[in-house]
Amino acid sequence: MAEKIMAYRFDRLDQTLSQLNKEDCAILAGGTDVMVMYKSRRGVPPIIPKPIVFIDHLSELKQVYQNQKDLHIGACCTYSELLGNPLIPLVLKKAIKTIAAPAIRNRGTLGGNVCNASPAGDTLPLLYVYNAKLLLRSAKGERIVAISDFIQGVRRIQREPNEILAEIILPSVLEESAHVIFEKVGNRNADAIAKVGFAGYIRLNDAVIDDVRFAFGAVGPTMVRSMDIEKMLLGKTIPLADLDIAQVVAAFDKIIKPIDDQRSTAIYRKTVALNLLRYFLSMKQFQHN
Amino acid sequence: MIKFTLNGKPVETDAPATVRLLDFIRDNQLLIGTKEGCGEGECGACSVFVNNSLQNSCLIPIGSIEGADIVTIEGIMESEQFKILDESYSNAGGVQCGYCIPGMVMASAALLSQNPHPSETEIREGISGNLCRCTGYNMIVDAINLAAKKGDGLWQKK
Amino acid sequence: MNLKNISTSVPRKDHKGKVSGQLAYISDVKVENMVYGVLYRSPIAYGKIISIHLPNLPEGYEAVGAEHIPGPNYVKIIKEDQPIFANEWVNYIGEPILMLVGEDLDILYRLLDEVKIELEEHQAIYTLEEAIKQRSAPGVNMASYEFGESLDTITSIELKAHQIIEEEYDTGYQEHVYLEPQGMLAIYKEDEIVVQGSMQCLYYIKNALVNALACGEDDVRVVQSPTGGGFGGKEEFPSMMACHVAVAAKAVKKSVMLVFDRSEDMVVTTKRHPAKLKYRTAIDKEGNILSMCVEIFLDGGANVGLSSVVLQRALLNSAGVYKIPHFHAKGYVLKTNTVPNGAFRGFGAPQSFAGIESHIGHISKLANIDPLEYKRKYLVKQGDPTITKGNFRDPILMEEMIEDLLNTSHYKKKKREFQQLNQQNQRYKKGIGTSLFLHGCGFTGSGERDHIKAKVKLVKSKDDQVSLKISNSDMGQGILTTLCKIVAKELDLPLENVLYPYPDTKEVPDSGPTVASRTTMIVGKLLERAAKKLKTQWQTGVEQEVVENYVHREMIPWDEKTFMGDAYPAYSWGVNIVEVEVDTLTGNIKLEKVYANYEVGKVIDERVMKGQIDGGLAQGLAYGYLEKMTSKEGKIQQKSITDYGPPTSLDVVSIQSKVFDNPYADGPYGAKGAGELTLIGGAPAVQAAIEDALQTPFQQIPITPEVIVESLYVREGEDG
Repeated sequence: MAEKIMAYRFDRLDQTLSQLNKEDCAILAGGTDVMVMYKSRRGVPPIIPKPIVFIDHLSELKQVYQNQKDLHIGACCTYSELLGNPLIPLVLKKAIKTIAAPAIRNRGTLGGNVCNASPAGDTLPLLYVYNAKLLLRSAKGERIVAISDFIQGVRRIQREPNEILAEIILPSVLEESAHVIFEKVGNRNADAIAKVGFAGYIRLNDAVIDDVRFAFGAVGPTMVRSMDIEKMLLGKTIPLADLDIAQVVAAFDKIIKPIDDQRSTAIYRKTVALNLLRYFLSMKQFQHN
Repeated sequence: MIKFTLNGKPVETDAPATVRLLDFIRDNQLLIGTKEGCGEGECGACSVFVNNSLQNSCLIPIGSIEGADIVTIEGIMESEQFKILDESYSNAGGVQCGYCIPGMVMASAALLSQNPHPSETEIREGISGNLCRCTGYNMIVDAINLAAKKGDGLWQKK
Repeated sequence: MNLKNISTSVPRKDHKGKVSGQLAYISDVKVENMVYGVLYRSPIAYGKIISIHLPNLPEGYEAVGAEHIPGPNYVKIIKEDQPIFANEWVNYIGEPILMLVGEDLDILYRLLDEVKIELEEHQAIYTLEEAIKQRSAPGVNMASYEFGESLDTITSIELKAHQIIEEEYDTGYQEHVYLEPQGMLAIYKEDEIVVQGSMQCLYYIKNALVNALACGEDDVRVVQSPTGGGFGGKEEFPSMMACHVAVAAKAVKKSVMLVFDRSEDMVVTTKRHPAKLKYRTAIDKEGNILSMCVEIFLDGGANVGLSSVVLQRALLNSAGVYKIPHFHAKGYVLKTNTVPNGAFRGFGAPQSFAGIESHIGHISKLANIDPLEYKRKYLVKQGDPTITKGNFRDPILMEEMIEDLLNTSHYKKKKREFQQLNQQNQRYKKGIGTSLFLHGCGFTGSGERDHIKAKVKLVKSKDDQVSLKISNSDMGQGILTTLCKIVAKELDLPLENVLYPYPDTKEVPDSGPTVASRTTMIVGKLLERAAKKLKTQWQTGVEQEVVENYVHREMIPWDEKTFMGDAYPAYSWGVNIVEVEVDTLTGNIKLEKVYANYEVGKVIDERVMKGQIDGGLAQGLAYGYLEKMTSKEGKIQQKSITDYGPPTSLDVVSIQSKVFDNPYADGPYGAKGAGELTLIGGAPAVQAAIEDALQTPFQQIPITPEVIVESLYVREGEDG
């Protein structure tokens, strides 16, 4: 017979936080990652080693709202809910649409994608170039942490046992003028795990680069981003000189260190990552400017 | 006790919260229309509606659907919409071995109730989470297209 | 049934149960006194079992192993080299060693984790390359054949040739990914064991069981369950599962159910043989072929299974659809300590056609002739000998099909347009490619005459319902409908009055396995004859029975030792044209247009045939560029469907197809085989299209983005 499972499902967030303050639990939102990670075999439940707390129904975690120029996204919004929300930037919707398939998007949450911290997480490159901040709530209070500090390694996040990710905040995203792109490279057109992910962000003042950001996914244990390399391009005018492009590519060549695995090869991942970067830097999308 | 409705009937169970909805439907409720093809949310053979939303039951622990309205293929079998899909799948030759079909029909119904007149691309996106190895999909796309035409007016946003 | 034309489509007879999900596949079945079985599998590729330590088994839980097999410990197929449960030696990761049975799967999985087996690991052969190096070592060569022109003659031709082209070509695994994982149930009764499950070959299983249980023919009964896809993956593999559950049922005196997890199915079941094909072709100054030698190596995995027959078909197709002067071929199935490989739609032909189309395409480049034009010069014609000195005695419509497809696809115009487009566009390159192919229908060689000896029965009830008593499985290809159509039309009965119950060895004679594209042509023909006979003897309101036996039409008799004669009674033919767009930044391939012309004698149902075209070609195309399975130190690396990558609805495009009429005298209404033909042309056509887009040759399939990027990158590196 199955062992006794402890599971909690409270009506309100404060009750949930109170329980998390007493016990270290496995938090389950949509479950599309957790149920696979702890999957046993056919016909039996997954083997989850801790008591479980269900949170995907909590309305406090499903709010999407604007605060000045910042966009606040509830961590338990499903991908489908975000696709239907007019406040969500188009490029983020584009990234979400590359995730799995409709049935998964009806369940999976943005907070889940962040807390799962997979090296191939589809929304992560974009959240990184948005300089996303995470609002963590606990019975003791709340704190805000940068996503690049929160995600520390493969499936490793800096979350205290009594904390829940409540909101993903995209600062200044509702301000105009930044051009953001996202590309996911998978093995097929749906239900694919990213082999390479790339997000690029650029803000121009006439033809001068005011701000530029890059993040690469699926080529390292966490997203690869480098403020130092980004600084190399500040103040330069577009179209960029070949030498400038080459320097940025060479700099990333040194720090992108992907692996071979059952999906792809290191050499493919690195080559394609740099190809996408080069293509972005060539500013072919801006020819009309 | 976990309570929810299944095909309109109230269900109450003391099964553990981590039991997969798929296993509950098949082993506890003895409904066989919802099939296991992969157990990992990759094939769509286990598709059900949760509060009118298409989801993979192999990834749903019953603890998380407390109070929800669950519908399996058995729950839509008597509807007008199903009859149109039934006819359309037959006329378009969309059924071969049949194992993916209950899931496909659920996905078709979900698609058409969101989007009563989908384009070919929208149809392909709508069933992109349902794997079929026999048909190569094209005749299934035809079936859904046919159902959209035949069922004009029947499909409406819920 | 008053269909004027047999080809007119009718609704499938099993539609209702499938669309409602109420048709019960084996995992939907529960019987009383039933326990589940789970298999303990070898964690190492090659070694000796030293000891087995079982955990304490609770009441109602038992272990079943080799010691419980009443008969000899092997699965009866061709050779006696496949143990039911590993005896002393294990030969591949995943090989079943023992089975635990019990009521609760939860408990079984936990007990399985507690089983401890001590193994002495030995040096394994992990790859085909290693096996080729060691092919003279004992046990490595599991089967080989050689035939054709004498090597002396070829050598003398090569000495005078302008150039010798040597190429080495690799093809990868292909996994069936039938949506319904494998499943088998043994129902325990005092006086008989009934085995039912997902299967293609009723009597393969019966024969394996009679052998393993050392029992009489009446002590075991096999029944086919509705089968959710097969594609060859449920041809020979289920026999082992049947032995597992039957042996266990006998040992524990309960019914035993064995159903695979998807990840288990991905890793341990048979797959398409990876192959290495070597070509050595002598050409003259104009690029004409003077002679050709082909050498084929198949990775058989850890036991031979049906690999010798796969090799035969690969060799029989090694010259493609071409009449090649001075042709010589030899082939080997080599043993590696990896999962045993087996039947998959095409059965050796997809590997050969991918290879020969690639090779001929490359030669055409040297001759500076468009690949399709070059291929047409060598197309066989009616009356030409086959490479085994058989004969292409029936009309061949290939030229007509090619002309038609050239027009439909605007091939020549597209080719020019793409070349111009590609010069201007840096990132995206377009290409168009073709493939020409055939498929020999029916069992290779004298199999029908000597081994199968098919027999069919029609039984008419008092209320004039006619039942088909045959052993063939509908696994989605629609024979439940098409074979009934043939009988209904012959007897002029409504289709509802013709029944085709799921095959049961208690009820049906052996009409042969559901393989080799033989069911419509051979079994359908027998049914047509039986129905004709029944019609002449028909007595309303009386129970009647009619039997028909296979009659072999002798042509040039097949001799397996010399590899000579007519290997197949008939051939079906195909032409594919595919357009692709290659993203040179990512290596991703987008299918743009797919055209296909086929000739299968006569179509028994248009919709059913279209289903075979769409489904088979989707698999064939994916074999060429999308699906990749690898083995590392004997372990299959792709355990999930997503990691393996079969196409989703967003990865295929509409296929523009046409089927040409060319009735074959010995087929029902003129029909030949179609089930495998449609897969074969996919990979070579997509390879040709990619090569056209990138103006670069490839020597392998699948041509994945990794292969493309590494080729572009390496090329750039070399230029730079």
